[in-house]
Amino acid sequence: MQRNRLENGGRIDRSQVLHFRFNGKKLEGYRGDSLASALLANGVTVVGRSFKLHRPRGIVGSGAEEPNAIMQIGKGATTQPNLRATQVEVYDGMIARSTKGWPSVNYDISAINNVFSRALGAGFYYKTFMRPQALWRLYEKIIRKSAGFGKAPKVADPDSYEHRNAHCDVLIAGAGPAGIMAALAAGLSGARVIIADEQCEFGGSLLASTAMFDDLPATDWLDDTLAALAEMGNITMLPRSTVFGYYDHNFVTIAERCTDHRNEAERHGVRQRLWRVRAKQVVLAQGAFERPLVFCNNDRPGVMQASAVSTYLHRYAVRPGDRAVVFTNNDSAYQTAIDLLRAGATVAIVDSRPGGAGAISQSATAAGIPVLAGHIVVDVNGGKRITGVRVGKWLGEAPQVVASSMLIDCDLLAMSGGWSPAVHLHSQAGGKNVWDDELYCFVPGESTQANQSVGSGNGKWLLSDCLQEGLAAGNNAASRCGFKPCDVAVPETGSNIEASIEPLWRVPSEEDPDHCPKQFIDFQNDVCVSDVRLAVREGYRNVEHVKRYTALGFGTDQGKLGNINGMAVVAECLGKSIPDVGTTTFRPAYTPVTFGVLAGDSVGELFEPVRTTAIHEWHEAAAAPFEVVGQWHRPWYFPKKGEDLQVAVERECLATRNSLGIMDASTLGKIDVRGPDAVEFLERVYTHNIGKMKVGRCAYGILLGEDGMLMDDGVMARLGEQHFYLTTTTGGAASVLSWLESWLQTEWPELDVYLTSLTDHFSTIAVVGPNSRRLLQKIGCDIDLDKENFPFMSVKGAELGGTQVQLFRVSFSGELAFEVNIDSNNALQMWNMLIDAGQEFDITPYGTETMHVLRAEKGFVIVGQDTDGSVTPGDVGMNWLLSKDKDFLGKRSLSRPDSIRHDRKQLVGLLSVDEKTVLPEGVQIVVDPDLPQPVPMCGYISSSYFSACLGHPIALALVENGRARKGEILYAVLTDGSVVEVRIVSSIFYDAKGERQND
Amino acid sequence: MTEVKRIDLGHINLRGDAGDDRFADGVEAALGLTLPVDPNTLSESDHRMYWLGPDEWQVVADRKNVPVLLKKLEDALVDQHVSINDLSGGQVTLHLAGADVPELLAKACTLDLHPSVFGVGDCAQSGLAKANVLIGYIDVAPVYEIIVRRSFSEYLLRWLRQNSHFQVGTASS
Repeated sequence: MQRNRLENGGRIDRSQVLHFRFNGKKLEGYRGDSLASALLANGVTVVGRSFKLHRPRGIVGSGAEEPNAIMQIGKGATTQPNLRATQVEVYDGMIARSTKGWPSVNYDISAINNVFSRALGAGFYYKTFMRPQALWRLYEKIIRKSAGFGKAPKVADPDSYEHRNAHCDVLIAGAGPAGIMAALAAGLSGARVIIADEQCEFGGSLLASTAMFDDLPATDWLDDTLAALAEMGNITMLPRSTVFGYYDHNFVTIAERCTDHRNEAERHGVRQRLWRVRAKQVVLAQGAFERPLVFCNNDRPGVMQASAVSTYLHRYAVRPGDRAVVFTNNDSAYQTAIDLLRAGATVAIVDSRPGGAGAISQSATAAGIPVLAGHIVVDVNGGKRITGVRVGKWLGEAPQVVASSMLIDCDLLAMSGGWSPAVHLHSQAGGKNVWDDELYCFVPGESTQANQSVGSGNGKWLLSDCLQEGLAAGNNAASRCGFKPCDVAVPETGSNIEASIEPLWRVPSEEDPDHCPKQFIDFQNDVCVSDVRLAVREGYRNVEHVKRYTALGFGTDQGKLGNINGMAVVAECLGKSIPDVGTTTFRPAYTPVTFGVLAGDSVGELFEPVRTTAIHEWHEAAAAPFEVVGQWHRPWYFPKKGEDLQVAVERECLATRNSLGIMDASTLGKIDVRGPDAVEFLERVYTHNIGKMKVGRCAYGILLGEDGMLMDDGVMARLGEQHFYLTTTTGGAASVLSWLESWLQTEWPELDVYLTSLTDHFSTIAVVGPNSRRLLQKIGCDIDLDKENFPFMSVKGAELGGTQVQLFRVSFSGELAFEVNIDSNNALQMWNMLIDAGQEFDITPYGTETMHVLRAEKGFVIVGQDTDGSVTPGDVGMNWLLSKDKDFLGKRSLSRPDSIRHDRKQLVGLLSVDEKTVLPEGVQIVVDPDLPQPVPMCGYISSSYFSACLGHPIALALVENGRARKGEILYAVLTDGSVVEVRIVSSIFYDAKGERQND
Repeated sequence: MTEVKRIDLGHINLRGDAGDDRFADGVEAALGLTLPVDPNTLSESDHRMYWLGPDEWQVVADRKNVPVLLKKLEDALVDQHVSINDLSGGQVTLHLAGADVPELLAKACTLDLHPSVFGVGDCAQSGLAKANVLIGYIDVAPVYEIIVRRSFSEYLLRWLRQNSHFQVGTASS
């Protein structure tokens, strides 16, 4: 039974009954209800337990600021934790649970903490669990269990999310009266407009307003205006969409909840969408938050924001209590008192201002509402629901602050401590906030980006001001984008001049504020006046430090309710003004957003691009497992039936060395270099002599960073006097091109050189082994491939098997080998031709693993595996590549004392003395494993394989002063602590003279 | 409804000095179209020529015409500091047609593709999902030409397939 539901009114549809469960109990609400309004309608008072003290808590607010009604919605894979019941629309079949309170919110075992609350002051965890250090692991487990709010789902999210980039002239955050006026003005001018609001329907405060516009209900104006906006083709209207982040260059993010408000069975398509908006102009119309008042036991269920009470009455037709007291220090809550009376409640007003309210006071008195001016609520009776309030006459600054007190019987306390504009987005954008001495709140200061704040978010409390300011901002934004502003009629709202607010940051307590019943500032984090005072006493002066010590402003609400009151208490303790204390930093997100919407569709197969070569489908058909290199998927090995990696690689290595192997090397980076200054340019970036290279010849080259460290390597070919072709490592292709371009464009613009990436255009097929020449001859090659006419390290254009190719005689295996560069459109055909023709030589396709073994047998390094960004050419025995006749990038760094240190780690070969153990890559090498720990380390293993051709394991390692230590016995320490004896040898294990590749 | 077609086209990358009349004239003579010098625009005759940068263009043409066009360009620009490279093997061309295309692309491309900003004849190099692409608005129908590196093409098609309900067709132009 919805015992608190009013018979009439509200924006709910009583014909659509929705069934839902809250903490296991079956309840009913109506279409249009928020979860909070439905709970209040059903008379649910306790909705959760507090964070630290486990005190029973009820609903306080009606929007993003709600600190207590934090819910787990749904179950299983699609559940969402930590949603504010005030922002969740009820749907049929909803399952909602409080995130705090065990075993139930009405009986919470941890509530015992409340009894010891004196000991649980600010910094309790820091102070108590520091020692003994060894016990921290135990403490942490227990603290973790009792901390936090909801639970993340344990299985993968089955829902889909997406991103949407959008551009507009004017983005409006918030569709209350000011935002809607701004949209109307900007829209009529012809600008491209996006207006977003976090609620399910546009209207903001008008949805719960009794105001009359031109003598008609304001909601009539709202309906008409929204219909007009929807008809314009240039306005994107986004309800259920929270503008949560405001970044540089007017980049704004919006989280749109597309299907969360539906029953799970009816959710189709994208669940949430992230809008990434680049706006020329932004209008911030986020509204304002009503501040709570800080008095003893102000956290008891039944104590609510006055504006929230009005919202429940008007928007949801729910009366949260029968006997109400309104406690305020400003005029706005008087309307709540009148609203309550009209809804059938008894009501009294307690106004801290000795002079009481302005004109509205007469309306209240005329209606028969008793008003106690100059009075304050000092304490609250009741535990799980308030039963009464103690009210005293306030004596101002006198030592005895309260003259006498009386008990007023009530079940609802509607409080208003004034209003704080939601300056969050303005602040995120980089704008400062300015303290207003008349409004007693921070208002947005000067904007640092192209934005304007309007309405109550700019400290304008009167509807007429909000509408006017919205109109002006909409026109202003449009005209800044080059559109002509237009005349829009602003409805007449009638005069409602207010008497000024009188600040009341902390209601004086009858006892010492450090020992009186708890006066809560931040409900969600259980931060009380006494905690803030303690923090200041212990030396915290900066508000950011106080925040972190006390947890003030943490959690889902991020201090939307409590921060200003908290800062005022800090200011009081420090004897400073509030603006001197300042606010903490506002950061995205305004309210929590899901990981799902941030990830968008970048999950699963789309998480990372998969790059494939033109021959990929053949590798797939051959059932090759793939190794991910950069984003490329390269065939790792080609197993025959029943073979594992080891067996397949041994077979591939032997076949290649003994007869013929073939590999897809298409992933190599390929760069075309042309221009009259090509030689000069390459001289400056490569270490060897370029000018001496003859056309038609190739050279191995290395690139150094400015620090002199090896950055990339590859083969370069001179195709013409002014024309070169470079290869890079697979992973370095993009970065090397950028590196070269950046030197050309920023440092040496005088050089006439053009660079073009050919990486994807050419596929590269390596044909490797003693029979490689015979294979090419067999399929028909129009150039002479013998040693004299086409020697090792040569390049020629050729017709191969009837197709034009670039043929390179280069080798990364030490064997006689050719690399065929071919238009990728023809690559698969060429590969198939070579495979077919190669059958007589038992042609064996091999992958990256065999490539690694073959090159390691030859002692060829792989940049990034045998080097790590701290390795010089000298360290890997490449000083022969460093020209003495010229300067090149990185050269000067090679003469730094550290670069010429004699004990630098140098590349060497390693053999396991037992001739059996294949050493794990990455393990450390020591001279004497029996030394006390930590044992000094003198190197590590960078590459290690079993060599089928040699019949024993081989390894490459970087060892201090390694080249001078050949023959020395050292020890490799494995991760399990065991030790393997190793001998330092030459890094070239196979065909040291290089006869095979020159054949 | 978005229609996605994979079109078999040829591609030539051209570098040169736009400020040199000999270059502009040579290109015009060889290709029969005006060298686009306004940033992010394309010009069109039997083939399309995309502006990629102040000194870089891409010619998109019938694949079978590429050898002839390469020869014509080389002859027309002989003795100039230029770079002419056949990239036909490295590029995949997609044509996306339908009124929803801008909205589809907006899911993963940060460009403003509103027709008032990005009209017919406009082009841009940008990211689409996690691939680099060249986008050209080539027909008011609307048809957008998307050119992506071959190695990223399967990934991009997968992204398109997941984000729009379409069949990938193939067509030769």
